[in-house]
Amino acid sequence: MSAPSTTVSTLSHAAQPAGHASPTFTSIPQPANALGFRRIVIGLLAVVVLAPIVLIIYQSLLDGPFFAPKSKLSIEAYRYILTDEMFYDALWNTVIMAVGMVAIAVPLGAALSFLLTRTDVKFRKALEVVVLVPMFISAIVLAFGYTVSVGPAGFLTMLSRDLFGSAPWNLYSLTGIVIVTGLAHVPHVYLYVSAAMRNLPSDLEEAARSMGSPIWRVCLDVTLPMVLPALVFATALNLLIGFEMFGVPYVLGDPSGIIVLTTYVYKLTTLFGVPTYQLMAVVVVLLVLLTLPLVWYQRRLLRHSRRYAALGGKGPRTTVMRLGPTGQIISLSFIGFWLFVSVVLPIGGIVLRAFVDAWGQGVNPLAHLTVAHFATLLEVPTLFRGIVNTVVLSVVGGAAAVAIYLVIGLAGHRHRGMSNTVLDYMVLLPRAMPSLIIGLAFFWLFLFVPFLIPLRTTLISLFAAYVIVGLSYGLRLLQGTLIQVSPELEEAARTTGATIGRSWRDIVIPIIRPGLVGAWALIMIVFLRDYATGIYLMSAGTEVIGSLMMAQLQSGAMDTIAALAFVSILLTGGGLALALRLGAKIHD
Amino acid sequence: MTDLIVENVHKYLGGLHILQGASFTANRGSIVSLLGASGSGKTTLLRCIAGLEQPEVGQIKIGGSVVFDGDKRVTVAPEKRNIGLVFQSYALWPHRSVAENVAYGLKLRGVNKADAEKRVLDTLGKIGLGHLAERYPDQLSGGQQQRVAICRALVYEPKILLMDEPLSNLDAKLREEARYWIRKLVLDLGICGVLVTHDQAEALAASDNILLLRNGKVAQEGPPQDIYSKPSSFYVADFLGANNVAAGRIKRDGPAASIHGSNWQLDGVMMGDGAESEGKAVIRVEQVAVHDQPAPGRIEMQLEACLFLGDRWEYRLSYGDFKAKAFGPKLMAAGTVWTEIPRESVWLYPEAA
Repeated sequence: MSAPSTTVSTLSHAAQPAGHASPTFTSIPQPANALGFRRIVIGLLAVVVLAPIVLIIYQSLLDGPFFAPKSKLSIEAYRYILTDEMFYDALWNTVIMAVGMVAIAVPLGAALSFLLTRTDVKFRKALEVVVLVPMFISAIVLAFGYTVSVGPAGFLTMLSRDLFGSAPWNLYSLTGIVIVTGLAHVPHVYLYVSAAMRNLPSDLEEAARSMGSPIWRVCLDVTLPMVLPALVFATALNLLIGFEMFGVPYVLGDPSGIIVLTTYVYKLTTLFGVPTYQLMAVVVVLLVLLTLPLVWYQRRLLRHSRRYAALGGKGPRTTVMRLGPTGQIISLSFIGFWLFVSVVLPIGGIVLRAFVDAWGQGVNPLAHLTVAHFATLLEVPTLFRGIVNTVVLSVVGGAAAVAIYLVIGLAGHRHRGMSNTVLDYMVLLPRAMPSLIIGLAFFWLFLFVPFLIPLRTTLISLFAAYVIVGLSYGLRLLQGTLIQVSPELEEAARTTGATIGRSWRDIVIPIIRPGLVGAWALIMIVFLRDYATGIYLMSAGTEVIGSLMMAQLQSGAMDTIAALAFVSILLTGGGLALALRLGAKIHD
Repeated sequence: MTDLIVENVHKYLGGLHILQGASFTANRGSIVSLLGASGSGKTTLLRCIAGLEQPEVGQIKIGGSVVFDGDKRVTVAPEKRNIGLVFQSYALWPHRSVAENVAYGLKLRGVNKADAEKRVLDTLGKIGLGHLAERYPDQLSGGQQQRVAICRALVYEPKILLMDEPLSNLDAKLREEARYWIRKLVLDLGICGVLVTHDQAEALAASDNILLLRNGKVAQEGPPQDIYSKPSSFYVADFLGANNVAAGRIKRDGPAASIHGSNWQLDGVMMGDGAESEGKAVIRVEQVAVHDQPAPGRIEMQLEACLFLGDRWEYRLSYGDFKAKAFGPKLMAAGTVWTEIPRESVWLYPEAA
């Protein structure tokens, strides 16, 4: 070590006592650890993840489309957006929407978790699955569902007008959006908070009860403070989701001119008649700047929670608190009302709407039942192709995506070092972008990169974008499964004479096969419900149900939309049933 | 023939110096035990030999070829070291049957199917598991799993067999059986066994050579009888066996030495260098004999209590502030007794300067 001459190095020297100086030996890396494979996979992933982001940033700094030869570097686009009143309007609405959504979802989700994990509420086993349903329904389907049931011309609105002369709600308002999204994201909170509550030993609550606390006080004073980390995590996650919501604010907000950042980007496409790519790129960059800190914070929390989870071995013994008859009635009414509003109302609306051809004030919809809308789906080639494409992308694409996530997961499996930090960030970066934007970025890539151009009008382009959209979730599923393989099983293969590749092929992959199948079912649902990724990538041949619904919305073809939404619900239901049957861990 | 040479191996983990220069050799047809308390580095040393951990300094040779050299920064992957490793948890692959578990090493070595099947059944038969070949690991008892794990590590005839606490998950009776047949198996096959254990009885019974580790260093090395009857340091003396320990002042007079307490003194033998100083005496419990009659050389002591241990009695004795334990065949009345403590059994260890 060179003689310390500056104050700084003296200080750093003082911080490290002489006796504990770290050894000068550099450690020898583990031999035959598939380092080359790991680096290539993570490098390729970095290219695929960073390419769209870099392209967006580059585009935001131009004064025209990136492919136009006369485009020059300029910050004109930033100046335009940052002085556009509509942008600030959208920004403000986005913040209200995200915060409002969280303010509804977090308390309700926490209450639901408490009831389903810590009390003896009736029908617990069934409810544990049913309460997750809103999470699996496409947001756009939900939005249409609310439109047809409680929108200005919805069934219930009509009914209310028939009975009372007016309907005391306005779905097409910021309040409407906040309530609808808030209720729809209760499962996202429930998922994390209930997991934490399940791991709580019950003696703490029993101690409080034995001192005479009523159940609701036990919940507020003991249970909730103990799961605070999970609550904070769920809040951060849902804020992030809130900033990126697109389907609901578009369907419910557009008719009354309420815009948020995502719908603002979407509207910029058509605002000027010509594509204003640079303006869209600027909004995306600004949106990502908003979400990136949340992603970073989430990563920190997640690392912390993993460390916490590693401490607990077998789940502690939990006994549930008895609610008593009054408690049961209150709890079940609460859950029932929430389920009615967030599941029955939208899905019921869609189902009804898909089978009637006339409705309105004073019209009995049951007298106008028809299956004509579904005949349309079969007759119009675009629509039929959209359904086929959706199924193909979900089933085949989902399997291919799981294979890709498995390769990425193995590249980071039991490995520490630089490349793993890179991997972590590459997996999280796409999270900072709404899937609408990821679709847009891939659209640009397939428009621009020479060897990709012919693939733009094939499902390959959509599949590539889907893989990135599902990356974060899919890889978490896979890593969670991989980590459950005891390291000794792999080490036993190595010492028996297997190379690392063979130990993966012969030991790791066969052992995690059930987990892979479960992950496939869940990724299938993620791909099924997606509606935003395919919007920009839609061309003759790459239609999917979600993007078709968005396109039909422009023309107001509600009959077709309802039929498509119904098909989407059926497919998602099928996927969910399959996932449950295959034993997928939907509670992860 | 020396099959395993470990030379001056150092391993750091973060700021911790886990292995501080461990060295030993092991020969074909013999078992070396790595014995130590938890945290002594015994498992780390085993994993370094297996190639599952990389030391920073030192050299390891298996069967004459270098598998690790810290100076030349050479390290060979675990699968190329020609070893067999038995894990504490057995680590049987749950998705493979017993036969498939055992056959895997042969399959990797390109042994043809018919030969492999024969060798698998031979090996399983040798330890009485031939009839379980088609079962899956979760259908076996702990003892059966352990034997399958050993079979799996042995079937391809590795140069050395590494065993990481292979008996710790078995109940006491099975453990005694297992240490016998493991020893027999290794000697019969003429391979070199390395056994990691925290159980001294296991190490003493099963091995030809014991390496007692303490804080990543070898505290003493030698055949079981030597290490038990000539412990070179207080730590080793106290670690092995059941002991009476007394602290006092050690005095030397030519070849004779003795230890002095506040109101007692005992003649003994010096086990370390050093002049007059504070120190400790270690007396193996089985070396103290208790009688109900006085005789020359016997010391008068008070018997405070008798505890029944099943096969014998334990006596609690005192002489002023000197307390001792002893074993005997019969219940004795509390009160005055006479004990015999041979001078050569009183090992004196001066406090390390």
